[in-house]
Amino acid sequence: MARYIFKRLLQSAVTILLVVTVVFLLLRLMPTDYYFTDEENIKLTDQQKLDRLQGAGLLDPPLTQLVRFYKQLFTEFDLGTSRRIQANQPVTKLIGDKAGVSMRLGLIALGISLVIGVVVGVLQARNKDGIIDHAGTAYTVFVNAVPSLVTYSLILAFGARVLGLPSMYSVRKPGPSAILPIICLSVGSIAGYMLWTRRYMVDELNKDYIRLAKLKGLSTSSVMYRHVLKNAFVPLAQYLPYSILLTVGGSLLVERFFSVPGLGPLLTDAIGRYDTNVVQGLVLLYATLGIIGVFLGDILMTLIDPRIRLTSKGGTR
Amino acid sequence: MKKLLSLVLALAMVLSMAVVTTASAAEITDLRSYETTSREMETFNIHSSQLANDLNVLVNCIDGLLTNDAKGALIGNAAKEWSTPDGGKTWTFVLNDGMTWVDKDGNVKADVVAEDWLTGLEWVLNFAKNASSNTSMPMEMIAGAAEYYAYTKQLTEEQGEEAAKALTIADKFAEMVKVTAPDAKTITYECVDALTYFPSVATYNCLYPLSAKLIEEVGVDGYQGITWENLWYSGAYTITSYIHQNEKVLTANPNYWNADGVKRFNTVTIKMVEGGDVAYQLFQTGELDHVSLTQANLSTIYNSTSNEFHGNLVEARPTKYSYQIHLVYDKNNEDGTKDTNWNTAVANKNFRLAWYYGLDLTDYLARTNAINPQACQNYCYTGNAVAVNSQGVDYTQLVRDELGLQYDAEKYNRTDADKAAQYKAAAIEELTAKGVTFPVEIDYYIKGDSQVALDSAQTLKQIFSDCLGDDFVTLNILTYVSSQTNEVRKPQLASIYINGWGADFADPINFLGQETYGEDNAYYSMNYSMCNNATDEDLIATYKEFTRLTNEAKAITDDNDARYAAFAKAEAYFLQNALAIPCNYEVAWELTCINPYSKVYSAYGIQTYRYVNWETNDQIYTTDEVAALKAAYEAN
Amino acid sequence: MDLTEKTVSELEAPVVDMDVDRSAVDSNIDKKYNRGRVHVHARAMMPEKQLFSYAEYRAQEAERIGYSQYSYWKSVWRNFLKKKAAVIMSLVFLALFLFTFVAGAIGKYDVYNLRIDNSLMFISPNSEFWFGTDNMGRDYWAQVWCATRTSIMLAVSVSLGQIALGVLIGLVWGYVRKLDSFFTNLYNLIDNVPTIIYMTLIALMLGKTTLIMGVAMIGFGWLATARNVRNLVFMYRDREYNLASRCLGTSIWRILARNIFPYLVSVIILRLALAIPGTIAYETTLTYLGLMDISTPSLGILLRNARSYFLDYPYLLIFPAAIVSIITITFYLVGNAFSDACDPRNHV
Repeated sequence: MARYIFKRLLQSAVTILLVVTVVFLLLRLMPTDYYFTDEENIKLTDQQKLDRLQGAGLLDPPLTQLVRFYKQLFTEFDLGTSRRIQANQPVTKLIGDKAGVSMRLGLIALGISLVIGVVVGVLQARNKDGIIDHAGTAYTVFVNAVPSLVTYSLILAFGARVLGLPSMYSVRKPGPSAILPIICLSVGSIAGYMLWTRRYMVDELNKDYIRLAKLKGLSTSSVMYRHVLKNAFVPLAQYLPYSILLTVGGSLLVERFFSVPGLGPLLTDAIGRYDTNVVQGLVLLYATLGIIGVFLGDILMTLIDPRIRLTSKGGTR
Repeated sequence: MKKLLSLVLALAMVLSMAVVTTASAAEITDLRSYETTSREMETFNIHSSQLANDLNVLVNCIDGLLTNDAKGALIGNAAKEWSTPDGGKTWTFVLNDGMTWVDKDGNVKADVVAEDWLTGLEWVLNFAKNASSNTSMPMEMIAGAAEYYAYTKQLTEEQGEEAAKALTIADKFAEMVKVTAPDAKTITYECVDALTYFPSVATYNCLYPLSAKLIEEVGVDGYQGITWENLWYSGAYTITSYIHQNEKVLTANPNYWNADGVKRFNTVTIKMVEGGDVAYQLFQTGELDHVSLTQANLSTIYNSTSNEFHGNLVEARPTKYSYQIHLVYDKNNEDGTKDTNWNTAVANKNFRLAWYYGLDLTDYLARTNAINPQACQNYCYTGNAVAVNSQGVDYTQLVRDELGLQYDAEKYNRTDADKAAQYKAAAIEELTAKGVTFPVEIDYYIKGDSQVALDSAQTLKQIFSDCLGDDFVTLNILTYVSSQTNEVRKPQLASIYINGWGADFADPINFLGQETYGEDNAYYSMNYSMCNNATDEDLIATYKEFTRLTNEAKAITDDNDARYAAFAKAEAYFLQNALAIPCNYEVAWELTCINPYSKVYSAYGIQTYRYVNWETNDQIYTTDEVAALKAAYEAN
Repeated sequence: MDLTEKTVSELEAPVVDMDVDRSAVDSNIDKKYNRGRVHVHARAMMPEKQLFSYAEYRAQEAERIGYSQYSYWKSVWRNFLKKKAAVIMSLVFLALFLFTFVAGAIGKYDVYNLRIDNSLMFISPNSEFWFGTDNMGRDYWAQVWCATRTSIMLAVSVSLGQIALGVLIGLVWGYVRKLDSFFTNLYNLIDNVPTIIYMTLIALMLGKTTLIMGVAMIGFGWLATARNVRNLVFMYRDREYNLASRCLGTSIWRILARNIFPYLVSVIILRLALAIPGTIAYETTLTYLGLMDISTPSLGILLRNARSYFLDYPYLLIFPAAIVSIITITFYLVGNAFSDACDPRNHV
């Protein structure tokens, strides 16, 4: 097991480096004029632009820049400074400041969706083809049928106009102003957890050992919770670490809509402003979280369900 | 002590009540404003910033030499008086007493001294420190500035960044750049030439002060990446809270030198919102004190008499931008060959004049102002309120007198169907003889993801078709992905551009100088119209005549009235030959608790967003109230 | 159900991107066991006499040969037709798609010649403008149907491309051991970076015409399918009959096509059914982020634009949103029904 973990970690590190390198080089493929705003393109002479790029070290050959990037990263854990998101601020600080906000909202939303999703999913499975089951399915279908852009707009409009909830997230008074963003964050994942809890529960209910347990005379609830739910939760648990870690990343649309100062919109903003250092930093973060998340998920699964062995199966990802 | 305190409090109450009784309604003490998230600040370094997003905030934090009043006139700020002994070549500014630098909490850090302006300019011009941001104006205007910039750049290349970063005003700067501080309260600039408009440059951030002691405290690298927390403030407000993409709070600077001279808010809170709709929602729930209306909101409010805001619609004041249809005289096809059909056609004066007299842009104006499109009509190249002569007549009025055109709230005034038809017929005849095929294709590029731009372009296409006829021209709407410069301008693919130009300083040369023939710093000629590559003799002659007229006007430095009159002649010549075609101004609609006629108004520079001397009302202003305020403002 | 959320950002609800293959396979299991369970219950309640009875001898029956005219696709079709809801919805969808071609003709305005008229803006649906007018006074009917057609065609071609590429790569990935680490790395490389970054870079560097963005969506959309297919191939590759077949000298492609591919049909169909609405939702998000070409109306563009107006003029949102919902629900139901029907274990 230890050997397997070591090997997986090594592989993960290689993958992360590969991902970051590819993105780094892709960013260097872009024409340098993109580094300037239209206003700057109007006001600066070509010479001035060259001067600036030179000053920022952007005119060196990409490989030189790459080596410099990794050297700084490994020696000082320095991802460089932002160019335009917050000029000359260290990328690590910028990301650090925002990650906390995203994570707080994300974890609350994750907790809520997990509780509601699993509970409703269990109820659905217990009353299969009953009213709750159909209502739950209808909800899942509805959430998936309406594009999230529209769902969020509706929640925003309804919450703000009818319920009078704050339509903008306030860092100083997060209480009520966090309600609508959290609802938006939860709507989709509640549907996800409901769907999969129900799915795995139903699968599990049909297995022979459950039938045996019932015939043996165990009470329904005991069967449900001690056997079915426990087993049905294993595949869900595999994705928990991944979900928890990625709450750091935030949600692009939700954070944009409610002005949440989180990481969600940062990536697109940074790409749009050609803030290469920020993009690189975020890619490094996302890739690391994603890979570690999957890895932890696999480990967690083996802990919950001793029947699962990673070593013989081999990682699929 | 307690007694004294209560006495003071009681006195304060009486005083404040007196204020209340004199004013018609209570004023807002804590302003709540907003900005869209795409316009977030990018830096707190006022010397390197070139973005309105930053400057709109920072201009409240640091006082420049001069500022503007609600009428747009120059008034003193850090400087109490300014003068030129030699008709504009040398300018002397004398500072106010008692100015201090404070930290974000208002603790005094240092005195503001004349040398701070030298330190500031050194920073701007030092290549290693400021990477050539904001250098264009000082390098063009201040003696020795360009040389100093070149020197620092060379030094950076030869001896590395650190050597150049270590420079201070005591080094080469002192001997090279002709800026001096004879005493702690006086600053003298020597210009390259007699520049009568130089004081208006003193409102700009390239001439803002910087305390050498701040640099001592945070270092050169520290000031490059300065944050609101360690910035030093000398202006009316300090930033007391800043959350990226969420909210910033400006608080009245407790140690402001001019606390008694200007009216300030206690705090100004600027919320970052996703878009105009969210802002409107916040306004409705009473969380904002003003909101600019989106087209949908505006039409809903306007069309429904029962709407709660129906009586509150206010037309905002025009922005400083003057939009033109720029014609391109050297256009390429996509394969890189010359588009001779277009190039030949556009060089023909009749062809251009058919546009000038034919295009009724009312529907296009309605894109910016659906209710009152004619408020956006623009017949001049130079923007409004850039220059005013000694009789108080705006420069654009002089141009319009030359052209014989006036603003008319009822109709679009430039069109003349008969003339347009004549010019069109003449153009078709002359150009057919030269082998031009009709209709002439006009390639017009917009940003590919902007629905607003697409809607406007389609409006324009319809106008061209309706006003000029499909047998004459057709407008092709084409798109670029992200950079107009790279994808369209450099390969010279567009036939026309519609661009707005806002002045940097108060003189028509700032506009007309961009269009001259054969001059390197004529921005539009060099980058957009490419008139220097034109081959048509008549066109070149026209351009040369315009350039001669402009330079003649530019040479007049002793008499502003004569200077403006001469510029107006040059501009009228430019327009009567339709070398570019004036398009529109921006005038939007808003709901507001702020008297728009009390705000700083400036057609140039960065001072517009200073939150000082604003008159406010805790109730939303009604349309009638603002009309009365406007009348009072104009009568004044 | 990995539709909308996944497309917004892979980060928001990773849980929904679990393996759809499971659901496909599992739903079949589900049904089978259900049948079994009903029998058990029924039996338990019935008295013994009814449970057992003597079979009478019939000469005809005895003569019958145990041969059925089984045809795979016929059975699929028959099973599919049993799902009434799915059949009705697919007819509705078909009608909707065909209608997009007719709608332009029966409408009063031609989508390519819409006039801008400020005096007509924001008119609610009436007899002249069946779906009302937009912010520029243009007929909304013509735009909605044109957008529907564009979006469906884009979604169908992108989804087909994604699935085709995904199946192909998945088969090779699963079957050729030597390439496993290559594909795993490629997968990681793409999967661990938010796709939005690749899409933005492509849009900026190559342009954002519908063709380019469509190809890019295919280029980054095959991952899930490929992983699914690869895992299934893993399961079936080394079954005894395949080993036997290989020993007898059957070519790899024949084994893939004849022995393994049929097991994948139901998964593929389900993936395809979910990919179509997924693509439409993804397009909406890309449009919101400004990464799509907007010169021809699409549902994504209409939805994005309607966002600014829907509080005052809800019809601008309702029409395109309703159409997107119909498409999504249709493919959800049809996909499930069809993949059930495709599973030979459900065939009689």
